[in-house]
This record gives sequence, structure tokens and C-alpha cells, in this order.
Amino acid sequence: MFKDLGIKKKLYFGFGAILSIIVILLVIAYNNFVRLSEANVWDKHTMDVLQVIDSVNVEMLQVQVEARGYYLTGDDTRAARIKTEMADVPAAIKKLQDLTADNPRQVLRFKELENQFHAWIREVIDPQVERRRELGTAPNAADAIGRSAQFQQGSPVSVSIYKVLAEAGAEERKLLAERTTSTNELQQSMVRVLSLGGLICIILGIGICYVLAQAILTPLNNLTHAVNRIAAGEQSARAEIISADELGQVSVEFNRMAQSIQDNQANELAATNLLKSKVDTLLETVSKAASGDLTGQITITGSDAIGQLGNGLAKMFDNLRVLLNNIQKAGIQVTTSATEIAASARQQEATGIEQAQTSVEVLSTTKEISSNTSQLLKTMEDATAVADYTTSATSEAQSNLKRMDQTMQHMVSATDSINAKLAALSEKASNINSVLTTITKVADQTNILSLNAAIEAEKAGEAGRGFSVVATEIRRLADQTSVSTWDIEQMLKEMQSAVSASVMGMDKFSEEIRRSVGEVRLVAEQLSGVMDQVGKLAPQFDVVLQGMQSQAVGAQQITETMMQLNDATQQTVESLKATSEAVHQLQYAAGDLQASVATFAVAV
Amino acid sequence: MKLLVFHIGADRYGLRLRAVLRVLPLMELKKLPMAPDAVAGLMNLHGDPVPVIDLARLGGGAPSAEHFDTRIVVVDYRTPEGASHALGLLAERVAGVQDVSDAALADSGVRAAPFLGQVAGDGAGIVQLIELDQLLPAALRAALFPPALP
Repeated sequence: MFKDLGIKKKLYFGFGAILSIIVILLVIAYNNFVRLSEANVWDKHTMDVLQVIDSVNVEMLQVQVEARGYYLTGDDTRAARIKTEMADVPAAIKKLQDLTADNPRQVLRFKELENQFHAWIREVIDPQVERRRELGTAPNAADAIGRSAQFQQGSPVSVSIYKVLAEAGAEERKLLAERTTSTNELQQSMVRVLSLGGLICIILGIGICYVLAQAILTPLNNLTHAVNRIAAGEQSARAEIISADELGQVSVEFNRMAQSIQDNQANELAATNLLKSKVDTLLETVSKAASGDLTGQITITGSDAIGQLGNGLAKMFDNLRVLLNNIQKAGIQVTTSATEIAASARQQEATGIEQAQTSVEVLSTTKEISSNTSQLLKTMEDATAVADYTTSATSEAQSNLKRMDQTMQHMVSATDSINAKLAALSEKASNINSVLTTITKVADQTNILSLNAAIEAEKAGEAGRGFSVVATEIRRLADQTSVSTWDIEQMLKEMQSAVSASVMGMDKFSEEIRRSVGEVRLVAEQLSGVMDQVGKLAPQFDVVLQGMQSQAVGAQQITETMMQLNDATQQTVESLKATSEAVHQLQYAAGDLQASVATFAVAV
Repeated sequence: MKLLVFHIGADRYGLRLRAVLRVLPLMELKKLPMAPDAVAGLMNLHGDPVPVIDLARLGGGAPSAEHFDTRIVVVDYRTPEGASHALGLLAERVAGVQDVSDAALADSGVRAAPFLGQVAGDGAGIVQLIELDQLLPAALRAALFPPALP
């Protein structure tokens, strides 16, 4: 039942018990003190009675003293003093009677004392005072009195008074002794009560303290022990509920809390295991993917974080599969293209070499043209000599010759400018076309020139026959040049188309080519104008001679150009070899790419 | 006899060199709207306007392709009235001058276009002469060279 009380009530109960014992002790002590003080009052009262008895005694003695003084002297003043002394005694007796009113024996005794005193006064003092007065101043009066029988025997009354007084004093002393004894007993009992009460208080206090400490500390220890066990990891540990007080409630709440913590941990463990299993599944698929097998399917879905992760991974895998498929296809495509490019590059290389050979041939042909032109020049000189005096329009031709000479100078300078441009452009393969165009144009013009020369020669009749042969020869050479140039042009076109397919930055070049073509066109127009002039001047052999000389110079320039072309072709072949090498590397790289991608399995 | 040899289509034809004034490269011709089909245009010969006839068109074929060896052959055309005119002939693939002996010439024996003359065989095939006199039909001639007003 004590266990079911609250700590507050327990404390109230324990300290209330101690307080009540102390109060009881205090009440007992107070009673005893009151009795002790009463006893003191009574002691004092007895002392007062004894003092009054002594004073009565003293008054009696004073009366006797004064009476004897009078007896001796007979002096009246003494007699007056007897009277005053006698007046004091009844008052003292009266006081005694008042003091001892509660004691009937003393009251009786003092009543008798009063009677006896009055009797003593009347029977002893008054007669003797009267006798002395009668004696007056007679000699031996005092002696007579002393010799009286009464005096001699003493007064029985006074003896009785003294006896009564002594009895009263004895009575009072006896009472005093009784009271002292009872007071001592009271003191002893009080000491006993206080000691015993104090002892009980101490024992009770210790007991209550022990019980309270037990009532508070046991549940606390219990709780602490349970907390320590939980802290040590024992999840199922619970505090034992010993009492129904606040600590008991605390224990109950603690148990509930521990239970909820255990439940939460169990839930968390279950959730962690679920998460772990999902992560393991994902990891398995991801590990397979890391080793190249992308066929794994992500089965983890949902709206939580791991589900979203699974969704994201699935999407990523799908994308990866698509990407790898594309890469595989692209790799195959790249390999195919690289193979094609390699084949094309080889073809180009072969073409380049062929072209180089052709260039050499062209070179030799051009040299031949050059030498032919030189030979022709000699012939022309002869022809000029013939023509000079056979042509009717010599004077007109002379002026035309001058104009043609100027025009040819223009042509030379124009050719120089072409050469300069061609030399500047010769390092680039695409510029060869312009050169070839120029050559073609020159050959074309030469062709026309030769035709016109032949026409003029025909018109000159017999005299022009020799020149006609020359013109035929020139035309033949021009045709040869055209044909060779056309061959070169075709090769160059093939090469250009091949190079343009494989060489980056061709656009830049083509722009330059366009620009160059424009310039060449400009030059061609200039040349056309020049040739127009030449055509006009054609009938003149000297003009032809000059033209032949220019042709020789032109052939020489063509030779140079062709040498440059040859160099360019060599460079082209080298660059094509480099391209071929690069394409081989590309093939290897494409093969590597395919091999790399092939390690991924993407089929689902 | 020397001929200036050119092609109409795949065939070779020759012009007597004596009739040729000069051979010019192909140049821009001024178009002549509403002119007969055979007229290729008008060329500028040193400031003089010279009509140009497309020989291929005249022969009834497709217009001459503008090859690099497509030329304009300026000939001295004489009208039946005896007037002399410069006339440009647009000819494809002007091959050059060929010497043909008169002995090698023979009549073709086939009546075709009136301006087609004798033929001469050689290693490369047959060359047929073009008779300038017969080259222009009367209507065309009238269109090109209207008779001088009295």
C-alpha cells in the first residue's frame, strides 16, 4: 500500500510522523515544566509561611523584651512600646491565617495561637504591667516583680505559643520536603521521557529515510539499469515497474519509449534490407554493364529515390544501348569508308604517279616544241627574207608588225604576270588547272594563229608555201600540246575530284582558284585582244617570225611551268602518300573502335 | 588544194582555204531575235558587223557545241550578184588545214544539201567540200545580205 503512494505523499507521511512525535514530546515537556514552576511557587509559599512564623516569634520576643524593660525601669515610655509591639502580633497572625487558608490544620493551629496570644496578653503581660505600675517608684520594685511566683515559674501560655509555632514550622517543613521529593521525581521522569522520545525520533527518522530512499532509489536504479542495458545494445531490456508513483509512471513511459525505439529500429532494419537488396540488384546490373554486358534489365522501379535511380539507370542503359548500336554501326561505316578512302587514295596515288610520268612526257614534248620552235625560227628567218619582197602589203604589214610587236610585248608581259601568278600558285595542286587552262588557251590561240598563217600562206601563193609547211608544223605542235594538256587536264580533274574529296580546306583553295580563273580570264581576254591584233597582222611573215620567237619564249616558259607542275605533282603524290598513311591509321582506328564497341553486348 | 577541215556532227567537211579570210576563236555573238534558225548571231570584226551562220544548224542538225576548238571562220562570201561580204561560219572542231590533191576529189554522187560538194577520201575517212556559193539559200541570203537598193 505504501508503494502505491506518490513520492510527495511518502515524504509528507514520513516527515509528518517525525513531527508528530516531536510535538508529543514538546507537550509532555511543557506539562512537566508547568508542574515544576507550580512546585516552585509552592516552595516559595512555604518559605513565606516560615518567615511569618519567625516574625511572629520575633514579635513575641520583642513584647517580652519591652515588658521586661518596663519591669526593670518602670518607665512609661516602655509601657507604650509594649503596646505598639503587641499591636504588631495580631497582624502577623492574621497574615499566617491568610497564607495557610488552604490547610485546615494550620488554620486551626493559628486560630489557637491567636487565642493563646490574647490569653497570654491578658493573663501574663497585663497583670504584671499593672503590678509594676502599682509599685511605681518603690525601691525594689523590679526585684519584687522578678521575685513573684509567676515570674519565677514562667508562663505556660507563652510556652504553649512557642510550641504551636514550632509545630506550625515543622508542618510547613514537612510539606516542603514532600514537594521537593515529588519535584525530583518529576525531573527524572522528564529526563526519561525526553531521552526516550529523542531516541524514538532518531530511530523513526532513520527508518523513514531508509524507506523513502528505498522507495525512490530502487525504481531509479531499476531505470538506470534498464537504460544501461539499452545503451549496451540490449534492445529488449525494460525497466521493472515496482511502484505506482511518479517514478513508476516514468518507468512505464520509458518502457513505452524503449518499445517504440525497438519497433522503429526494426522498421528501419527492414527498410534498410529492402534498400540493400534493391541496390544489390542495381549493382549487379551495373557491374554487368561495367564489364560490357548491357543486356541486363533494371527491374527496380517506383517513385522513391531508389526507384527513380532505377528508372534513371534503365533510361541510361537504353540510351547506352542505342548509342553503342549507333557506334557499332558508325564503326562499321567508318571502316567501310576508310577502306574506300584507302582504295581511292591508292588509286589517286597511282594516278599521281601516272600524272608525274605524263608530266615528264609533257616536259619532253615541250622541250621538243622548244627545239622545234628554234628550228622553225631559222626557217622563219628564211621565209621572212622571201616574204619581205613578195608580199604586196609589206608596208601595211610593217606598221601592223610594229603594232603586233607592241601587242606581243604586252602578251609577254601578260604571260610574265601569268607566270608570276602561276609560280605563286604552283605549290597548290588546284592551281595546276589554271596553268593548264592557260596552256590550253595558248595552244588554242597558236592553233588559230597557225590556221590563219596557213591561210595567209595560201593567199601568198607559191611564195608562202614554205611558210605553209611551218604553219602546219606549228599547228601540229599546238594540237599535240592541246592533246597532252587535255590528258593532263583529265588526270588533274580526276586527281582534283579525288583530292577534293579527301583534303580539307579545299574550299579555300577553290576560292583562290576562282579568283585565279578570273585573273586568267582577264589575261585571256587580254591575250584574245592581242591575238586579235596578231590575227590582223597575221599576213606578215615578220609578224609570224616575231610570233615564232614569242612562241619559242612561250615554249620555254611552258617548259618551266611544266617543271613546276612536275614538282607540284611530286608534292601531290607525296601528300597522297601521307593521305594514304593517314587513311591506314584511320582504318586501324576504325578497327579499334569496332573492336572496342564489340566488347559491349547490347542485344536485349 | 588546201582545205580548212572542220566537223559538222561526226563528219568532216572542208572549206577551200582560198575563200577563208581568217579563223577566229569563238566569241560572244550578239543574238538576232526573229532571224532564221541558221543565224547564230552578229559578230564584231574590227568594228564591222558580220553575220555568223551556224553550219551545224544549216545542215539541219543541233546547234554547234561551244567546244574550245569551235571557231568562227570568216569567209569572203560572194553573192550571185557579185557583191563581196564577210560572213562568219560557226564550225565545230576545226581540225586544221589539209592538203587535198585535186585528183583525190570525186563527186559524191548523192544529191543532198546544195552546198555539199565533192568528197575526198583519206586515211581518216571522207572529207566533203563545202561550196560557199551554194551555202546560203536564197531566203537566208536575202535576209543576211539584202540586195542593195537601187
